[in-house]
Amino acid sequence: MRFNLKALPLAISVAMLPAYAAAEDTSDEKIAKLEQQVQSLQTAQTESLTERFSFNGFMTGAYISSDNNTGYAGATTSANFDDGSKFGLQGTFAITDQTQAVMQLMMKGSNDWEVEAEWAYISHRFENGLQARAGKLRVPLFMYSDYLDVGYAQPFVRPPSEVYDAVPFTSYTGADASYDIEFDDSTLTIQAFGGQSEDSGIDIGNVIGANVNWTDLTWTLRAVYGQATLDGTVTRQTAVDGGIDPSTGLPISIDVTVDILDIDDAKGTFVGLGGSYDNGSFLAIAEWTRLEIDEEYPDSDAGYLTLGYRIDAFTPYVTASYFETKDNDVRTNPVHAAIFNGERTAYSAGVRWDAMDNLALKFDVTHATDFGDTSGGFDTNIGQEFDDTTVYTVQFDVVF
Amino acid sequence: MKKILSILALSVCSVMSAQAAVVVIGAPGAGDISASDAKKLFLGKGSKSAVVYELDEGNATRSEFHSAVTGKSDSQLKAFWSKQVFTGKGNPPATVSSASAMKSAVASNPNAIGYIDEADVDASVKVILKP
Repeated sequence: MRFNLKALPLAISVAMLPAYAAAEDTSDEKIAKLEQQVQSLQTAQTESLTERFSFNGFMTGAYISSDNNTGYAGATTSANFDDGSKFGLQGTFAITDQTQAVMQLMMKGSNDWEVEAEWAYISHRFENGLQARAGKLRVPLFMYSDYLDVGYAQPFVRPPSEVYDAVPFTSYTGADASYDIEFDDSTLTIQAFGGQSEDSGIDIGNVIGANVNWTDLTWTLRAVYGQATLDGTVTRQTAVDGGIDPSTGLPISIDVTVDILDIDDAKGTFVGLGGSYDNGSFLAIAEWTRLEIDEEYPDSDAGYLTLGYRIDAFTPYVTASYFETKDNDVRTNPVHAAIFNGERTAYSAGVRWDAMDNLALKFDVTHATDFGDTSGGFDTNIGQEFDDTTVYTVQFDVVF
Repeated sequence: MKKILSILALSVCSVMSAQAAVVVIGAPGAGDISASDAKKLFLGKGSKSAVVYELDEGNATRSEFHSAVTGKSDSQLKAFWSKQVFTGKGNPPATVSSASAMKSAVASNPNAIGYIDEADVDASVKVILKP
């Protein structure tokens, strides 16, 4: 068997030799060419066995610090290496040329480094070009949804949280189908998805939606619609004064979970528009989203604009973003108003430095302000202790 | 000092290679393609039957090809493929290590497409696009 495998490339090469007879080569050149041919066929053969399985990974290490404890991106006044750091591993197994199984495991500092499968699906490409996937998938609501955790694939330290934090769940269990329509200079992709999800004890059912994406690889335009039914109880953790510990004389604080709001099959809808321009040196990205949910759970509008310019390995960028709840008048209960009403504007300036082949270093300063008469959208600022915050981030992103 | 020398050497190299042009090649029977088709194919879009070959990362001809055809620098190309890989949308093309390996890979498959420096073109392959 082994003999046969080795002999096969040689036999094929010999069979192909006449194809080269037309070229008037010296015999030395012919031999060199033949050797090259044997080598490439042998490589191809090993590849067909080992290339079915591929393994990739990415990692982000972030240092975040803030001038106060508002809680932007989990930042506090003390140095924090956990909240922005993450590690992902992806295995892809090509079952056939058209069918593959993909599994991506993530560990995040903000999630106590617990291992979680963000993606786990089987995909199949049909003869007519339709690609179907089933399993655990990313909810494709935003431009960066699909590679939310792959910092290396993003120009900024994190997608603007004003926009990206409005929807609390990022993955769902279900299926999607996408189809590419090829034009002369561009591609239109239509994707439909459906399934269910869960977040902090709230069932997110009947998730269904579609998006269209057009790109000529310089311009990208995108529109998305999604809807879901929410059912469950919104809870918040809060610290309650437990008196004084008699043995130490220090105050005791007890963490309790408080039911805040019952949601009974509330329908939520999401609309998003996005566009980007990247001509290799100048970079612009913009997204605008609107979220509407029945009853008291907040409706919000959000958007951002990022501009960047590449100078060799450096890409300085600026971002302006905003978010605002639109249904404050619905929340007559002052506790609900304090928790759910929110608005803020954030300005970021940063630079991405492609320091090494697969490593990018990023530096970012983000200033969030204009909280109005609200917490700014931070659970950690419901008492409205802070009117603004400045967050400093140093981050490295790696892919391998 | 060694670093400065190698940087100097590299910049001399890049100035020299800028004079020679990169060409897109196919098997001898292949038809010409447009610049936009080439851009699509080398970014994993367009015809699914095409077999695309790249030169290894770090190869000067590769960088030159991409700045001419896809408009992406080495790091931008890497960021682009990391998007595709981590969303299951596709994998970067197979790579070969030299112009002669590129020629034999492309010559043996009528659906194959690759690129080499114009100076390395011979009768085993056909130039299907001069970007």
